[in-house]
Amino acid sequence: MKIKVDIDLCQGHSVCLAEAPEVFDVVEVDDGYPLVKVLQGNPPEALRAKVERAAKYCPNRVITIIED
Amino acid sequence: MNETSAQRDKKLPPKVSGAKADMGHMEEFSANFGRFMMRANAECGELAEFNMAGQETVLMSGPEAQEAFLKTLDNKLSRAASYQATVPVFGKGVIFDAPPERMKAQLKIQVNALRYQNMKNYTAVINQEVEDWVADWGDEGELDFLDEFIQLTLHTATHCLLGADFRNQLTDEFKSLYHDLEAGLQAIAFVDPYMQQPVFEARDKALIRLQELISEIITERRKNSDKEYGDALETFMAGSYSDGSLLSDNEITGLVIATMFAGHHTSSGTATWILTELARHPNYSDEIVTELQTVFKDDGTITLESLREMPKLEAFIEEVLRLHPPLVLLMRKVMEDIDFKGTLIETGKTVAISTYGSHRNPDYFPDPETFNPARDKPDNLYAFIPFGGGPHKCAGNAFALMQLKAIISVLLPRYTFELVDPPETYQDDMSAMVLKPTGPCRLRYKKRQ
Repeated sequence: MKIKVDIDLCQGHSVCLAEAPEVFDVVEVDDGYPLVKVLQGNPPEALRAKVERAAKYCPNRVITIIED
Repeated sequence: MNETSAQRDKKLPPKVSGAKADMGHMEEFSANFGRFMMRANAECGELAEFNMAGQETVLMSGPEAQEAFLKTLDNKLSRAASYQATVPVFGKGVIFDAPPERMKAQLKIQVNALRYQNMKNYTAVINQEVEDWVADWGDEGELDFLDEFIQLTLHTATHCLLGADFRNQLTDEFKSLYHDLEAGLQAIAFVDPYMQQPVFEARDKALIRLQELISEIITERRKNSDKEYGDALETFMAGSYSDGSLLSDNEITGLVIATMFAGHHTSSGTATWILTELARHPNYSDEIVTELQTVFKDDGTITLESLREMPKLEAFIEEVLRLHPPLVLLMRKVMEDIDFKGTLIETGKTVAISTYGSHRNPDYFPDPETFNPARDKPDNLYAFIPFGGGPHKCAGNAFALMQLKAIISVLLPRYTFELVDPPETYQDDMSAMVLKPTGPCRLRYKKRQ
């Protein structure tokens, strides 16, 4: 699977970081909201459940999973 | 050809009929702005220009136009210029009165208070508040739930924002100050918030006193800096600008007020509608009870995690938000000429989108006036917009949904609800700034066997 994020919609709520810290970080930027940073663009299958939860529970629906 | 004449050749938005000489469409608009917006859209299409007491306003309808509205940033479509009425309510230098960089920093600090760890604390706080509220209900009774939910959400909001101590000592003085600030945000404030009016004098006095009260708490907390609170005030006090400087006490107070205003009546009105629609639709109500019993069958504790997986209740809440979106209308001021599909929207005009109208568009919501939680959700993200969308989407959306689900998770498995008054008397109050049912909203509750 591949991870796609629509960064314009991110407000740094950090649900993804709590669900899948192996795949997502939330970083401070110069101005505005902290933003999601994808640590692994092609995460292993073993992390699927965590990544799916991150995508599903993101309040702003920033994360999309694209199947290979 | 110079730029001016090039622009002159461009198409302008069509105008809505029925404008009066001085006030334009203000009267029809104020009487029922949801319906007025639907008429404007039906008559003119995607862009419809009307006149609000001299302010030329272009309604943008349909998912494409709404997406353009929601994705355009403040330098072109300004929130600040449209929401100046909030300045004397939140205080000088706060959010829409701050320079763009400081406004961004303040909004970021506000969102920090809604991050995951805080949300867990808030869930526990809300659960406790709801339990305290129902503790003396007994087996059956009758309540005006509009009023009850205004009280409950004032308690949850102050508790999450300002902590347990403040909430437990919630004084009549605070309630009266808060009331005076609210009264300062009525419709005329959007024409001119600095008119000589008793309501505005009361508003200004209330702000000064509230700044004193919250400043006292801040000073007290700074003295006991090793204590942890887990509330929003703690986050606001820790927040800083890019140069490292902290927010002033008055800026912190402004963020507290802004957050209360964003979350209080929007939540109380929606909670009232949810319970009313549950009372109207016992079949859905039963299905949701079954779902809640499954979610809480092993462990009855309401947590952020346990509230996340409730598809039936979520669909029900979404249908309530579709028909009764608390914010009926969003506005921006045009700072630079905008081209939308070849039509020019000129600098100085106001643009608006209508959640109320969008949610009743039969292309996306067939048979739109029918309450049907099982209806298909449109794929288009910009057709269903109770929290707006794009980069400025309501940052409190997860908080709001969590609170609503927590309330229903306590109430519905324990009690059944039915309407007290004739069904047709439960209507949207279309003259209010934040949509709510016309009060009182009386429901009868009975303990389930």
